[in-house]
Amino acid sequence: MLTLKTKLALIIYLALALNLTSLNFANAQSRITVGVTETIDTHNPYGDSVSLMYGIWSEITGPFCTYSYAKGDFEGRLAEKWKVENPTTWIFSLNKNYKFNDGSPVTADDVVHSIMNRVIKDPQSKQKASVAPSVVNAEAIDKLTVKVTTDKPTAPLLSFFCDRLIITSKAMFDKHGRDVADKEHMIGAGPYRLKELIPGQRLVLAKNPNHPEAKRNPRAPDEVVYRIMREPEQRVTALLNDEIQIGQFVPPHMRGRVETNKSLRILPVDSVEIMFLAMQPKPPFDKKEVRQAVCHAINRDQIIATLLESFASRLDGPLGPGQYGYDPALKPKLSYDPEKAKKLLAQAGFPNGIDAELQAPVGRYTLDKQLSEAMIPMLNAAGIRAKLATPEWATMWANVQKGTVPFYYMGRGSIQDPSAALHQYFHTGETPRIGYSNAKVDELLDKEQQEFDPKKRRQYLSQAMSLITEDAPACFMWRHKLLWGLHNRVDYKPLPDSRIYAIDMAVKK
Amino acid sequence: MTGYLLRRLAGTVPVLVLISLLVFLLIHAAPGDPTLMLLGEETNAAEIAKAKARWGLDQPLYVQYWKFLTTVAAGDFGKSFKYAEPVTSVIRSRLPATIELAFFAIVIATVLAIPLGVWAGARPNSWIDNLGTTCGLFGISMPSFWLAIMLILLLAGVLNILPTSGRSTYGIAGPEQTGFYILDSVMQKNWRAVWDALSHLFLPALALGVNMLGILMRVTRSSILEVMNEDYVRTARAKGLREKKVVWRHVSSNALIPVITVVGLELGTLLSGSIIVETVFAWPGGGSLLITALNARDYPLVTGLVLTYTTAFVGINLIIDGLYAVVDPRIRY
Amino acid sequence: MQSLTLESATEKAPGALARLLPRLHAKAFTGGLIVLTFVLVGVFGPYLAPHDPNKQQLTAMMKPPQGIGAVHVLGTDNLGRDIFSRVIHGTRVSLLVAFAVVFVSGLIGITLGAVSGYFGGKADFLIQKLVEVIWAFPPLLLGITIMAFLGQGLFNLILALVAQRWIPYCRVVRGQALSLRSRDFVTAAQSLGSTHGKIILRHIIPNLIQTSLVIGTFAMASSIIAEASLSFLGVGVPPHIPTWGTMLADARIYISTAWWLPLFPGACIFITVLGINLLGDALRDILDPRLKRTGSGL
Repeated sequence: MLTLKTKLALIIYLALALNLTSLNFANAQSRITVGVTETIDTHNPYGDSVSLMYGIWSEITGPFCTYSYAKGDFEGRLAEKWKVENPTTWIFSLNKNYKFNDGSPVTADDVVHSIMNRVIKDPQSKQKASVAPSVVNAEAIDKLTVKVTTDKPTAPLLSFFCDRLIITSKAMFDKHGRDVADKEHMIGAGPYRLKELIPGQRLVLAKNPNHPEAKRNPRAPDEVVYRIMREPEQRVTALLNDEIQIGQFVPPHMRGRVETNKSLRILPVDSVEIMFLAMQPKPPFDKKEVRQAVCHAINRDQIIATLLESFASRLDGPLGPGQYGYDPALKPKLSYDPEKAKKLLAQAGFPNGIDAELQAPVGRYTLDKQLSEAMIPMLNAAGIRAKLATPEWATMWANVQKGTVPFYYMGRGSIQDPSAALHQYFHTGETPRIGYSNAKVDELLDKEQQEFDPKKRRQYLSQAMSLITEDAPACFMWRHKLLWGLHNRVDYKPLPDSRIYAIDMAVKK
Repeated sequence: MTGYLLRRLAGTVPVLVLISLLVFLLIHAAPGDPTLMLLGEETNAAEIAKAKARWGLDQPLYVQYWKFLTTVAAGDFGKSFKYAEPVTSVIRSRLPATIELAFFAIVIATVLAIPLGVWAGARPNSWIDNLGTTCGLFGISMPSFWLAIMLILLLAGVLNILPTSGRSTYGIAGPEQTGFYILDSVMQKNWRAVWDALSHLFLPALALGVNMLGILMRVTRSSILEVMNEDYVRTARAKGLREKKVVWRHVSSNALIPVITVVGLELGTLLSGSIIVETVFAWPGGGSLLITALNARDYPLVTGLVLTYTTAFVGINLIIDGLYAVVDPRIRY
Repeated sequence: MQSLTLESATEKAPGALARLLPRLHAKAFTGGLIVLTFVLVGVFGPYLAPHDPNKQQLTAMMKPPQGIGAVHVLGTDNLGRDIFSRVIHGTRVSLLVAFAVVFVSGLIGITLGAVSGYFGGKADFLIQKLVEVIWAFPPLLLGITIMAFLGQGLFNLILALVAQRWIPYCRVVRGQALSLRSRDFVTAAQSLGSTHGKIILRHIIPNLIQTSLVIGTFAMASSIIAEASLSFLGVGVPPHIPTWGTMLADARIYISTAWWLPLFPGACIFITVLGINLLGDALRDILDPRLKRTGSGL
């Protein structure tokens, strides 16, 4: 009995000792652990359509091109440059310096294979509509040139390709078949390679020190570990314990806890996700005045100042600063004015107010339930007797897409270029999400999509957005400032979308 | 007895078929649509229709169910919509994590509950009894998500002695063999990895096991109470045996039968507790997978997982029935 | 009512239980007092609560508890709502749900169990198959799918919680009915020409009340917890109905920064469930020491 006890103690002691020594050893290589909220699920780079994963896969396989928020424009990576030959034909020239992990160069064949076989034709792809919606053909012109044809003029094509199109090796696919190639022979031409993926738990990337992008930033971490941590308390605790060095989405009220630790800091970033209240133009929202009344009823500034502790910026139209097509002079501005809201309701024939049910998701966007709850008394005060319902997300999302939710709080993310989102929500017949139809808006959005002159395109967008704001099929609320918790050991400027690029991090020695 | 168990085994088949029908109907009838959940924000009608045809969702429900039954009969659950892999292999990759967690939760529960219960039951009015009963009730009186977060804040936060989540620290464990991290690491004699896995396991196992701990403790206590009054215990006492000996030799062995039953019956609760605990701790097991699958309306994966769980539940209870006969030779079937 | 059950228990099992009685009495008393207090708070909630539980005040959010006599005794939550009033109204809803669950599942479980045990044969077979099928489901999962299927709402929540909680009743009652039906008073009634329905109602069910009472307490405790768990998973009641579970689930992101948000609903759940369990424990010791297998739910 006693011997067993001593043995046990010895084992525990040994384990502890080993544990301590290993910590010093691990520091020889720089490693950054990131706590993220989204799921990491599949070995197939095309098997999910989640923004975090688009970023991670882009980093493994080399981003085709990327949107630089600093420049406000798209930047070449794997595709060095491009030109529009005619409105439906694009020519992409590849950078010859990008090589797969096994040393073979990335060729036009790989790009064509990735677009046609992996994104478009593979039944397991979940990315067709997000990456190559209007693409009908891609062909190799020579070893480093690809011609992409679309079925209709698509001016915002780059916003679909950049940071999303993942280029994988055709040779590996041909040799091993899709599933084995993805699982066991995932080679890419990016600055990082996939080292470990445990679905539902973590994903590990290791740097390729000789990659051109890695050479540009030698302080980028040697290894990056992405860990799923859904509970905010958990991410903050892990930050404080130095279990993670970067934590996504710290709720505003917890930033104090992070900042009390001297070696941590909080970085707020304007998200490109726009939050809005959508109203289907069916009674009682079929009247413009009623919809405008809703917009006038909500005191966005107060909600931002209190609940969001100023970590959000008000939207006076669909877009905010830093997003393509943002127009600071956009009119009209439907600002907080409960008296006007009441008057508008009376004008629309509802002097006694209306009843409505507002639907909102729970836990999907920053404080979604709390924010919607705060809107209820404001709506009530203006004569819109609203009740809040918070259905389970799968149910709500299906109903929104079917067009059976008349009034809901929603967000639309990854809007660098608003084209896709505006079409989705406000163009006649594209999706039933709002079921809004306005011939003038349709015309402008069609023109915008086919206009390759950026100046004119901005004009069309601006006009369309002005009309939408005035007609108010949706009230635009705010864009969150997402708070990131960072350890002082690492320098990183988080991006406005939820993509994370390890190659842009710098670890302090 | 073998005959009885065989009959019972045969009896479970229709039960499992009925369960499959029920879960199939429930999940298909629930609002929500896998294509909308999986194809991303920008998807369009054409893509949705294509996905529906590929996944067979355009067929009438009875055709889908029949197809499902025939694939199950062939020992398969079809392919997951989300993971695009056979459901069986998705489940197999996640199951060891859940089994490891559940096993340690049961270990924690029984190791603490049985002595506590025996102690409390042997001295019905003492402070031990009071303390034990309160401790036992403590676990059952809290929602597990709440307990989990409190444990993280206390042991990982304030005391900073355990990790907040996950199943292992990256870079310590060797290659996966069985999928049971502790077993793998022991086999590889990688003691650091054993320690790492145990330290990750402790909080979720505790959060999961506390509920069972409370129930087991109370069951042990009351069955001890009951056995204490049986004739043979009185005889033993009358013979002048020391109280301690009486309790441990005569009482405990006889009081353990209901305890085993309760472990079996509570397994369902434990498994559904794992749904929440795994979600909070990012434990890559079947429970968190079930939530992911349910949220994505991944029909084959949900049905496959539920059937796996229920089969395990039914099977384990069958085994426990068999165990009775071993523990208590008086039981005949 | 308590003294009544105590008497009958002493008649039944004199030996060891007589020694236990004073202790059991204290347990039953503590548990009963806790439950009674909360029931009273629930019943008179609207008169006790100083504020409208849904009245928001964004300018006065997250105020710490101010103590007895102040405007916000237990402070305000993240929307500036009075926590004291919300806890009181939450008591009402949470207990209502719990009682309804116990009542409905008791009704279903006892009826099916009595029928199953009394008649045996085909009815028994069918009912027992149903029991096996439903019991094999992981409890929470059934709750989630039912809520997803039916949508949000108090009534749906009750249904989702009942779905499995009738089974312990059914099992135990069946076993007892099986043994009762061959007892003298039943056979006597049968020979006197009573109908089956009458026999079940007059002779079988009254004999099952004590057992059911014990199961009921545990079902009640577990449904309070399960309501919180469902809220955590995002399938609870609509936001305008304050329940302890939704309050706790919403407050979980404030544990470390504003402890009073989660503390009070959490404490209410804990104390109530503790009280119910104490009462149940005592009742079981007194009424039916042989009853060991009670479903706990989550």
